[in-house]
Amino acid sequence: MLYINDLTKKYGAFTAVNHLSLHIPEGDLFGFVGPNGAGKTTTIRIVCGLLRASSGQVRIGGTSAPVGSREMKRLIGYVPDFFGVYDNLKVREYMDMYGSMYGMHSRDIAKLTDDLLELVNLSDKKEVYVDTLSRGMKQRLCVARALLHNPKLLILDEPSSGLDPRARVEMKELLMNLHSMGKTIVISSHILSELSEMCTSIGIMNSGQLITAGRIEDIMQQLSGGKRIHIRLVSGMETAVRILKEQAGTVVESVRENEMIITNQGTDEQISALIGCLIQNQVVLTGFYREEGSLESLFMQLTGGGGQ
Amino acid sequence: MRVRWNPIVKKDLQIAARSMRISWGLFAYEAVLTMTFLLALAVIQQQTGSFYSDGNVYHHLIYLFPVLAIAQVCIVTLIVPVITASSISGEKERQTFDIMLTTCMSPFSIVLGKVVSAVIHILFYVVGGLPIMALSFVVGGMDWSNLFYFILTIVLLSVFSGSIGIFCSSVCRKSISAVVLSYVFYFVIFVLTFIPAIIKGLFVNKGAGETMLLWLVNPIIFFEEFFMQIMSGESLFAGNFEKGDVGFLTFQLARGKTWMFVSGACILLLSVLFLLAAAWKVNPMHTSSVRRPGKKK
Repeated sequence: MLYINDLTKKYGAFTAVNHLSLHIPEGDLFGFVGPNGAGKTTTIRIVCGLLRASSGQVRIGGTSAPVGSREMKRLIGYVPDFFGVYDNLKVREYMDMYGSMYGMHSRDIAKLTDDLLELVNLSDKKEVYVDTLSRGMKQRLCVARALLHNPKLLILDEPSSGLDPRARVEMKELLMNLHSMGKTIVISSHILSELSEMCTSIGIMNSGQLITAGRIEDIMQQLSGGKRIHIRLVSGMETAVRILKEQAGTVVESVRENEMIITNQGTDEQISALIGCLIQNQVVLTGFYREEGSLESLFMQLTGGGGQ
Repeated sequence: MRVRWNPIVKKDLQIAARSMRISWGLFAYEAVLTMTFLLALAVIQQQTGSFYSDGNVYHHLIYLFPVLAIAQVCIVTLIVPVITASSISGEKERQTFDIMLTTCMSPFSIVLGKVVSAVIHILFYVVGGLPIMALSFVVGGMDWSNLFYFILTIVLLSVFSGSIGIFCSSVCRKSISAVVLSYVFYFVIFVLTFIPAIIKGLFVNKGAGETMLLWLVNPIIFFEEFFMQIMSGESLFAGNFEKGDVGFLTFQLARGKTWMFVSGACILLLSVLFLLAAAWKVNPMHTSSVRRPGKKK
């Protein structure tokens, strides 16, 4: 859906985005992660046609139209991090104005407005002035506005910043709902726990460079060199260590009194067979679990602890 | 065929119509115009009763029209930059401008929408002031077509002032800076265009030459010619300059109504140039309009 090739943005001697290449497939919910000044917003602004790149290419949905062209703008729905409001403008009129800006007819806008306001749970606010809405409601309205022209790609720049916990949950549910409908979504956010819960893949940026991108589990696995498994046992420690060391692709990391940690690069079936092998050899297990890495630890590891 | 409104015009008018600002603005406009009318009437009556007057008040009442018209021109000239200079910078301050740029509207449509809404805004005032203007027609004996031409010139002035305001708004980040810059442009166009002719006339002592061509873009001269044509049917230049006083081109343009029409066209052309420059400036795809983003709020 979104192809970014060798994208660079320079402000004089300062390089905000440095040779960034990225591919986000259709239907993906992609999380853009990085500390302040990493270049996330600059990248998003370039993709949305709000900034001119120093070099590189951006393509959306296979179209070869240049960034900032009308054709490209029709493919993107953009939700900025700050929601600016007009005094004395109602929710319905707000939607009508932006629909008109995409060349849509008032009749179509009115019908779509009803559907979208229902989607973002603002049906009862249609005749309410926008500046009287809560911040969470404004942000959801902004998402509805961005969906008005049915874009293929929805880009949200820190949609949860400044929202209270309830509004965040509502926003997260809305985005997951949109993802289940097949929309391709790109989110830049600082709230990593939230991203790890909803994103299918992530890209981590630091100092203008994309450090890594891909599915969260794959990145975790790459970094830890395999799946870390904790095994708790009552007896048979020596036997267990011997058996595990004989297995190809398995590394015994640490051994304590009743627990050992191993790293295994095999599939889930191979790990299952390995546990079965231990039980068959009279090793008495009380439990085992796979260590789940958090996005926070991954982020800190990749950005050298300099992130948020 | 269905006429499509520019969404920005529709939005701006919707917002303006609901605010008290337009009501107070209209009230102030009418009040100033009424005061001007009463003051002019008092002066005319005083002059009619003086020793040197012929005692016929109708010889003097005809001057009510230019007085009221000039008052309106001055008000419009002063308030249009305030309306337009905050239009784009105001959107930037509200952070709604970025969203506008991601829609299918071209930068020129955005800029044009802002100017058109400013012109319509001004027309509210001008139409609101028509009953007072009508008094000058009843007692002053003017033709109704003069009123029509006057409204046309007000529209031209609104477009011109609006385009300057929009350009300044596109250059400045803060509305207040844009308003100040607009008045600086006013000073350059309204006042500094006289300087070359004055210097040449005073110090070089061979007449103003072609330096007076700069006056073609000066709305003061344009309105002077407009009122001269309406009141006396003559050009001020044609009656006052000999062939040697001014350059050949200036002399040719000063004949009949030529200066007024050419000046109107030049002012309109300058307005279009300001609008194009504003559209170029707000287009994010132009390198010069790009600056490093600041820290997030």
